[in-house]
Amino acid sequence: MRTFFRILSSELLKISKSKVWLLIVVSPILSTLVGILAEPYEGIDPWRIVLGTMVFLHGMLFLPILAGLFPAFICRYEHTGGGWKQLLVLPVSRSAVYLAKFTIVAGLLAVCQLLFLAGMLIAGWIQGFTDPIPWGIVATCLFGGWFACLPLAALQLGISLSWSSFAAPLAVNVSLTIPNMLIINSKDIAPFYPWAQPVLAMMPLGEADFGAFNLPLESLMVTVLGSFLVFFAAGLIHFRCKEI
Amino acid sequence: MKELIIQTEELTKKYRGRCAVDHLNLEITKGDIFGFLGPNGAGKTTTIRMLLGLIQPTYGSIQIFGRDLHKDKLSILRRIGSLVEYPSYYGHLNAVDNLEAIRRIIDVPKSRIDEVLHIVSLSDESRRPVKGFSLGMKQRLGIAASLLANPDLLILDEPTNGLDPSGIHEIRELIKSLPKQYGITVLVSSHLLGEMEQMANTIGIIREGKMVFQDTIHNLSLKSTHDIELVVSEPDAALWLARDLGSRGLLHDGTLTFPDMNDPQIALLVKRLVENGHDIYRVEMKKKSLEDIFMQVIGEGSIL
Repeated sequence: MRTFFRILSSELLKISKSKVWLLIVVSPILSTLVGILAEPYEGIDPWRIVLGTMVFLHGMLFLPILAGLFPAFICRYEHTGGGWKQLLVLPVSRSAVYLAKFTIVAGLLAVCQLLFLAGMLIAGWIQGFTDPIPWGIVATCLFGGWFACLPLAALQLGISLSWSSFAAPLAVNVSLTIPNMLIINSKDIAPFYPWAQPVLAMMPLGEADFGAFNLPLESLMVTVLGSFLVFFAAGLIHFRCKEI
Repeated sequence: MKELIIQTEELTKKYRGRCAVDHLNLEITKGDIFGFLGPNGAGKTTTIRMLLGLIQPTYGSIQIFGRDLHKDKLSILRRIGSLVEYPSYYGHLNAVDNLEAIRRIIDVPKSRIDEVLHIVSLSDESRRPVKGFSLGMKQRLGIAASLLANPDLLILDEPTNGLDPSGIHEIRELIKSLPKQYGITVLVSSHLLGEMEQMANTIGIIREGKMVFQDTIHNLSLKSTHDIELVVSEPDAALWLARDLGSRGLLHDGTLTFPDMNDPQIALLVKRLVENGHDIYRVEMKKKSLEDIFMQVIGEGSIL
């Protein structure tokens, strides 16, 4: 366990001096603009309107793409500088390295969600909402979106670890994310499509009344958890056996 | 019996049926500088990657510090510093942060970073991003990283690759000083014998995955034959005179070359030449260089 925290601290150093921070802010900023432009209408909690509008772009497109971009990013500097050799000849187990890398990705996604929350509050403040903020809904939405990203992050981490190319894992990720726009309309497929889960999980219940959006959170979590276990285990096993 | 630091038994690595490393028995004693020699693609790096646990052997065992690598990998790695092939670095970090990223994992005091940077003379450049470093500087940074944990065993794969002559000299002197100063055992690989000659005590020559020679440099040089070269005033006549004495030589550019002459034969020839009125300008012994022997060994396989 101590090794894990040591690797984590080393990873934090590497990531903190990289340009990953630029990536994190893009989606919250764009979502904030969308939130500012959202028009609340009478009789419905304006926070839910803003949240529902912001979630579309963020949850459907940016968040799943970021879940692929972050792993590619934190593996990139190992691939380009031959860092794997240097890292794996240190007294560390490969599982600990894998786990530390995954924790970093999960952490970056969490930061992104928090910035999204800040963006939502800013949008509400600019629009001058006086209603109390529905914290329960907001928290469920942010956490659900984050959690639904973990399987994607696990898969992309596995791919990024094995391919030294930066673009190839991203291409996989984007080409699996784009179909979201169609898939979320389908009641039958969307609940089982991992890339659609972030937006489904983030949408406040009853906000979007079509496609797969009315499913309860519990049923989404089955897909999320199942795909997470499969992708995470596959990535870990592959990395442990990999020849460096 | 000297203590063995590295010992491999029948170490083999196969890629698609082809043996990259073929039943290798490697023995390196404590405090030694072991030169691991072979042409490019002979299996040096593959062997080193197996010694460091980066790849799994197809067959055979590895003992390091008297323990099985497969079973005690982490505790063994803790005592090894290494540089594998091209230097590894994080381009977006400066030299200090590069070492800090490693230091956080191995948990040595922070002062160690300045010490190793000083050892490889990078102290002045330590705050620049490493992507702007020359290959030689990156290589030195790699060596600094390998020394960070105060290792008992240092494994350096082609450490002087890409360095300029003065850099090569520095690294060589550094490597030579390690066993004396810190009792570190060094395994250093190269495809250049000349380099090894000035650094290593023991060498192992590998060819197509097989060890074809493993002994001290001294014993390798004993295998070499030597020529006697003479420069005299009348080389043609001298050649005939030598032939009468039973020594067949060659005349080339005014220099007479006689292979494999012993001391009495030389003395007799010189005496006869003087008696016959030749002026003798030079009598030289030309040792066949280790390079020649090396070429012979890697060219023909196990002839020694």
